[in-house]
Amino acid sequence: MNTIKNKYIVVILLSFFSIASFAQDAKNDLMLSMGYYNNNNLTQYLVAHAKTKIDGKFQMVPDVAIKFYINNDSAATNLLGTAVTNDKGDAILMMPPSAKAEWMKSVKHTFAIVSTPSKLYDEAKATVDVSKAKLKIDTTDDKKLIVTLLELKDTAWVPVKAVDLKVAIKRLDGDLNVNETATYTTDSTGTITAEFKRDSLPGDKDGNLTLIAKVEDNDIYGNLTAEKVVKWGSKFQYVSQFDRRTLFARRGHSPWWLELLAYAIVVSVWGVLIYLVGQIKKIKKLGV
Amino acid sequence: MQNLEKEQIIQDLLPQEFGKQGKIWVACLIGLCLIGFGAYCHQLSKGLVVTAMRDYASWGIYISNFVFFVAISLVGSLITAVLRLTDVHWSTPLTRIAEIIAVSAITFASIIIVVDMGRPDRFYNLFLHGRLQSPIVWDVIVITTYFFISILLLYFPLLPDLKIMLQYKERTSKWMYKLYTFLGSFWKDKPEQFKITDKAINILSITIIPVAFSIHTVTSWLFATTYRPGWDSTNFGAYFISGAFLVGSGGVLVAMYVFRSHYNLKKYITYDHFDKMGKVVVMLALLYLYFNVNEFLVPAFKMKKPEEEHLKGLFTGEFAPIFWFAITTSMLLPILILVTKKGRRPFPAFIAGILVVIGSWFKRYIIVTPTLLHPFLPMRDVPASYHHYFPTWEEWAICIGSLAGALLVITFFARIFPIIPIHETITETEEHEHDKK
Repeated sequence: MNTIKNKYIVVILLSFFSIASFAQDAKNDLMLSMGYYNNNNLTQYLVAHAKTKIDGKFQMVPDVAIKFYINNDSAATNLLGTAVTNDKGDAILMMPPSAKAEWMKSVKHTFAIVSTPSKLYDEAKATVDVSKAKLKIDTTDDKKLIVTLLELKDTAWVPVKAVDLKVAIKRLDGDLNVNETATYTTDSTGTITAEFKRDSLPGDKDGNLTLIAKVEDNDIYGNLTAEKVVKWGSKFQYVSQFDRRTLFARRGHSPWWLELLAYAIVVSVWGVLIYLVGQIKKIKKLGV
Repeated sequence: MQNLEKEQIIQDLLPQEFGKQGKIWVACLIGLCLIGFGAYCHQLSKGLVVTAMRDYASWGIYISNFVFFVAISLVGSLITAVLRLTDVHWSTPLTRIAEIIAVSAITFASIIIVVDMGRPDRFYNLFLHGRLQSPIVWDVIVITTYFFISILLLYFPLLPDLKIMLQYKERTSKWMYKLYTFLGSFWKDKPEQFKITDKAINILSITIIPVAFSIHTVTSWLFATTYRPGWDSTNFGAYFISGAFLVGSGGVLVAMYVFRSHYNLKKYITYDHFDKMGKVVVMLALLYLYFNVNEFLVPAFKMKKPEEEHLKGLFTGEFAPIFWFAITTSMLLPILILVTKKGRRPFPAFIAGILVVIGSWFKRYIIVTPTLLHPFLPMRDVPASYHHYFPTWEEWAICIGSLAGALLVITFFARIFPIIPIHETITETEEHEHDKK
């Protein structure tokens, strides 16, 4: 009897462990990556990206809580903040003012991200090393852009050579190249020169255009941008279309041609009908 | 012409009292109208929720009925104006039938459009705040104009007949005599009066053609100016007008047979009239068939995704039975019947006319509702009933009531006024005899 009982216990335990191991197998691997962004030498932020592989395809993972650290991936004092991934699997954290002291300690930093473990995913980590750098954008009277990439070495900003960067004009739905060349490489002085060839490009009401220089996904410096507003565009005066006479306008604002045509037809047809009613009166008179 | 013959024509064509059949017919029509009116009162108190119209199928059989009425009303312009201006004389006995069909149909088209409104008490806003760019405003303008022209076209040729009816006091009731006196006591058969009347009828015949084309083109634009599968067509105006002439002519065939047999007008509405009118219907059915092929073949050839869903719904899907019924009864069968000489005899022609009218009513339903049930964006998160449309009893009752109302107007008109122009018939007979001599 005891032997049978023991057999049952063994079977139940084995079943339990097999279910537990199956449950563990059901978890997918969470893959994290991150990027450092410095926009116009003013706004710094970090973007974490979470994805996983399901049925051989990468899928973005939303709703993952991610902790952001600077120079250490566990100390509470180095925690920059927490963000949750969106539908695209991105979690964005603006650099908090409290991180300034840590940021000023060194010219190079390591940022780390750690995901919070869940029923679906185990903890995952990723790091990125960033050297302090900035972009400087200048212009000349003959419509040339001079962009310089500088890196902080100890206490001095020194030019960086052989780095790819883009120069463009900021537009509503993306960037427009200033000429036929999209990407330039910095020379020994850390500088590139690009000629502006977009004459008569509509700007704002004063003709202002925003020029932008970019370093994208660089292994050492991350993502850097610099912007400058220049009066190189044509002046664009916004004219409200709201009260114009169009087919889709509100009442009383139909096009003149439609009003003339419609009223002319109505008046002429009804004129004929009124004339004919007059003829009935005439017939009546003749019969009296 | 001998006086006896003239007298015979007058006696034959003067309005006749309702017999037993006529009274039953009128009672049935009044009954249907009352049921329809009761259903409308119910709809007014409860709102449009009593109908099966929902977020997607927001136009149901009320609008189908409206398009049908507008379509059938066009026959007035075809028979009265087009045939008159082209100097076709065989249509003279049919002009008044066509005109009264036009007047009654256009009256009920205006009524049914108000029925489709959730808040008819706000109808005046259309006049106060209507946009000139909107086809709805054009529709109101052309319907009113067309109604007025049709009334005048009915009235001018009636003037000489009113004098004749006033001479036969014994054949009229008191109130009818008063009505004739009010409408035409001033008619003295003076040449100047005839001159003015002829001129007025000619002016009206010319005016009504563009107005009639406008009325149905504008109705088609209510659909075609929207970007939807099945409606997004540049062909819609011509497609609607050809269909309208067909249904109107079918209606005239039916009315010709009914009046001919009920009022014993075999001498006036002859085999020849059925033969000629039958040929007109065949021609119009072929024309409408041609436009239908255009309407369906071109989108079917391209098979854009939203059109595909719509067309499959019509050809083989949910609407296939009604679609094929409408195509068969409104066009194919009437062509097969009327294309032969035997088929153009009164009774087969009457059957063909009925098929055209019934098929055409369902054709309007096929134009209006299936498109609404195939929107560009998929229907999501809506009750299952929103995916389909089947009219409620209120909708059926109101539509049937309106059709009965239109028939009632025609019936009462035929009771009060001669359904075949008396004076014109006498004149044409005299001219015919004069030509013989």
